[in-house]
Amino acid sequence: MTTFVDQVREMGLKQAVLVKADEIVERVTAGMNISDIRAALRGDEPRRPNPRLRPHADSFWLHIRPSFYHTEVTHIYPTFRLGWLSTFMFVWETITGIILMIFYTPSPLVAYSNMWNILSNVPLGQLMRNMHRLGAEVMVVAVALHMLRTFITGSYKKPRQFTWATGMILLVLTLLLSFSGYLLPWDQLSYWALTVFISGAEAAPSPLPGIIPAEVINKNVLLILQGAPTLGAGGLLRWYLFHVLLMPLLLGIFFFVHYYKVVLHGLSLPPGREEIGEDTAKRVPKNERTYFIPDILTSELMWTALVTLFLTAGSLWFWDAPLEHHADPIVTPLHVVAPWYLSWSQGWLKLADKTLVVGFIPLLMVAFIVMPYFEVGKSRRYADRRLGLSVAMLFIAFMLVSNWMGTPEFRVQSSPEREVAQEIAPQEGPSVLLGVPFDELLPGTYEPGQVIADRPHLTRALEKFDEALALHSCTLTGNPEFEECRVTGEGKWGNSFTDSAMPDPVAKLIIEDVQPNLRKLVLHFEAVDPNNPDKMLVDLDWVKYRHADSNYEEECRFVNKNC
Amino acid sequence: MQVKVVIGTVAFMLTMMILGFAALREPARMEAFSRAAVGRSIETGAEIFANNCATCHGVNGEAKECYDTAGNQIGCKGLPLNSKGLVCGDRPARLEAMNWVGSKEAFIKQTVAAGRVGTAMPTWSERFGGPMRDDQIDNVVAFVLNWESEELCSQPDITFDWPESVDDFLAEFPEGDAANGEALYLSYGCIGCHGDVTQEGSNAVGPWLGEIAEVGATREEGKSAAQYVYESILDPNAFIAPDCPTGPCTSPSAMPGNFAERMAANPQDMADLLTFLLGSGE
Repeated sequence: MTTFVDQVREMGLKQAVLVKADEIVERVTAGMNISDIRAALRGDEPRRPNPRLRPHADSFWLHIRPSFYHTEVTHIYPTFRLGWLSTFMFVWETITGIILMIFYTPSPLVAYSNMWNILSNVPLGQLMRNMHRLGAEVMVVAVALHMLRTFITGSYKKPRQFTWATGMILLVLTLLLSFSGYLLPWDQLSYWALTVFISGAEAAPSPLPGIIPAEVINKNVLLILQGAPTLGAGGLLRWYLFHVLLMPLLLGIFFFVHYYKVVLHGLSLPPGREEIGEDTAKRVPKNERTYFIPDILTSELMWTALVTLFLTAGSLWFWDAPLEHHADPIVTPLHVVAPWYLSWSQGWLKLADKTLVVGFIPLLMVAFIVMPYFEVGKSRRYADRRLGLSVAMLFIAFMLVSNWMGTPEFRVQSSPEREVAQEIAPQEGPSVLLGVPFDELLPGTYEPGQVIADRPHLTRALEKFDEALALHSCTLTGNPEFEECRVTGEGKWGNSFTDSAMPDPVAKLIIEDVQPNLRKLVLHFEAVDPNNPDKMLVDLDWVKYRHADSNYEEECRFVNKNC
Repeated sequence: MQVKVVIGTVAFMLTMMILGFAALREPARMEAFSRAAVGRSIETGAEIFANNCATCHGVNGEAKECYDTAGNQIGCKGLPLNSKGLVCGDRPARLEAMNWVGSKEAFIKQTVAAGRVGTAMPTWSERFGGPMRDDQIDNVVAFVLNWESEELCSQPDITFDWPESVDDFLAEFPEGDAANGEALYLSYGCIGCHGDVTQEGSNAVGPWLGEIAEVGATREEGKSAAQYVYESILDPNAFIAPDCPTGPCTSPSAMPGNFAERMAANPQDMADLLTFLLGSGE
């Protein structure tokens, strides 16, 4: 055993340092020295014995990765890198989530002001919040597409049934993980989305009818989900712990089981590559091997850089996490909606009884989990699976339609004047009217559709006002701006768009000064009852306040904001 | 593989450049968001004020124009908040008058949250049994403080040297307009506590003033009704009336002590009010 000092004496300082560096690199990489790494990067053949296999045996991080893949599965098709992307997103969410955790306290007293603190007082805080929120949605998409791909290529078939089952659990956990983060900002959006979710869960049917009464189940589900009879401090703490502790832990456990099975069985080859009924993923001929080091590793590092670039740019310029008003249990905003990835369940609730829907969802999940054990057709080839693939496509179409039915456009309309007001100045979130710069919102009375010189944003808002008004109005007096009214019921009129339209309404925007830097925007609607000229059918003042510094313009520059 | 290394390196460098760009504009962005946080708090405060506070403090916070839920004008029971004496400077006059040592934010917050005993101001914070959460109280405070403006705060202090004797005052302002006095009885908010003078028992907090022309002369020996009413408006604590609707009147008086200042700009208001309350014969 020679010490470093001995080495310096023996071969001089420069040479001794180089040897030492080589030795350290070899230890850190668990087997590859500097020249091995350079050779790998140059694309040279490895020396014998192959040092590029040693990290898979000796290092912690690489021991769960296979040392080589079948070249056929390393192209974009058949995996589309979706499993890798799902894993990447989980790591991404963990990192950004831990950073956000530093600035967050799960209490209704401060959670919402924590959000504003992250936005206004934490360097890169807005970016971090946007990255976490965008990442959550990308992760849902990635996991769902990963499952779809697995179905289409028939990779759930024997021997990979259990991998599919754990994958289904991971999909559900991903949805729950994404949704459990929804409550944490404690704004109106989160509060009411959770309230809808919990009231759905509360309606769950008893799993053992006759033995355990449904009331007992409902009461206890409610208590477990919100920690109290109403959603408050206890509920927030609980959902926070679900989000940062329980769900990630479960997801981590199932991820390792899932990935262990993936490696155990190997990535399934494209269906056309093997004989029907055979599984040759683990028998890779020497000439069809693509080694992890350097090819797969390089590829994964490239994708890491690309996805990071995509998410960073997306969070900075294109996509902004919403933040509405402080949660208020006594004010329900108009049109409470579930996040898009759960919108299908809201659609189902409009079709069927709540208990039926809530009871159906777990059954559907179980059906998906056990599906590979019943669907035992031997062939993975597309031509042999016309029925299965058709059912899958129908299911996707059904989910897309269900998702659309979950939006307020389907069967939930408030009164027409409120719909118009909500369109251009919604109760929550920025809008085309609030996004008008303060300098353009001069006091006065404005007509829908009015064009105002040198005030393009206000002109645009008034144009949108006019469009929304036309959509929800009709005429009995031949007013050319509106469609002809058709009678849709006793004292009710409609047009081609809606069954509930205002007959010949008068609408205007009134802007008043309240304080030197605060203005009141009033959307005034009135319509006389055609059956009773002394009575007003519609008479509404929809009030929004706008402060000079509120900076809705900043929010409006993102493409996911409705301005 | 070389292509992948290049693409990955370029993407990594671009990400770093984007982060650098984001970091450079952070101070300005955080500044804008700090102001936006206050702005949005004021917006919400304005909504809460219009729905809860304007009934007593008036639509512009001047305690001049108050309406009930049906839209009828009623007397303002509250003090003016859109007032130099409350929102201007670090030590507005109201803080001095109340011996408040803290900031004006804390003063307003405390008043909104806990209410003011003996006045019509209720407790608003749910911490003390009211209906509002902390964030709502904070929003209202932000809105009230936002009345501080150069225009309001640069107004000169108007003072008036009120004579001690009502007779000296009336010598200066002999013509009282009873009709305007009635309007002032509403707009100064007297009606909110003392009730409608034509309806006995309509008073909610203070004594009923329908018969003050007779009763006033009996309150303090040697003082005419006019002298008594005049003094009570200028200094509510000079004499505490015995007969408030909820029992003996509280001491110190629940009546705002700032009418001397509020009427200073227009002392004729005092003459009109006296004429309305006591009749022109006095």
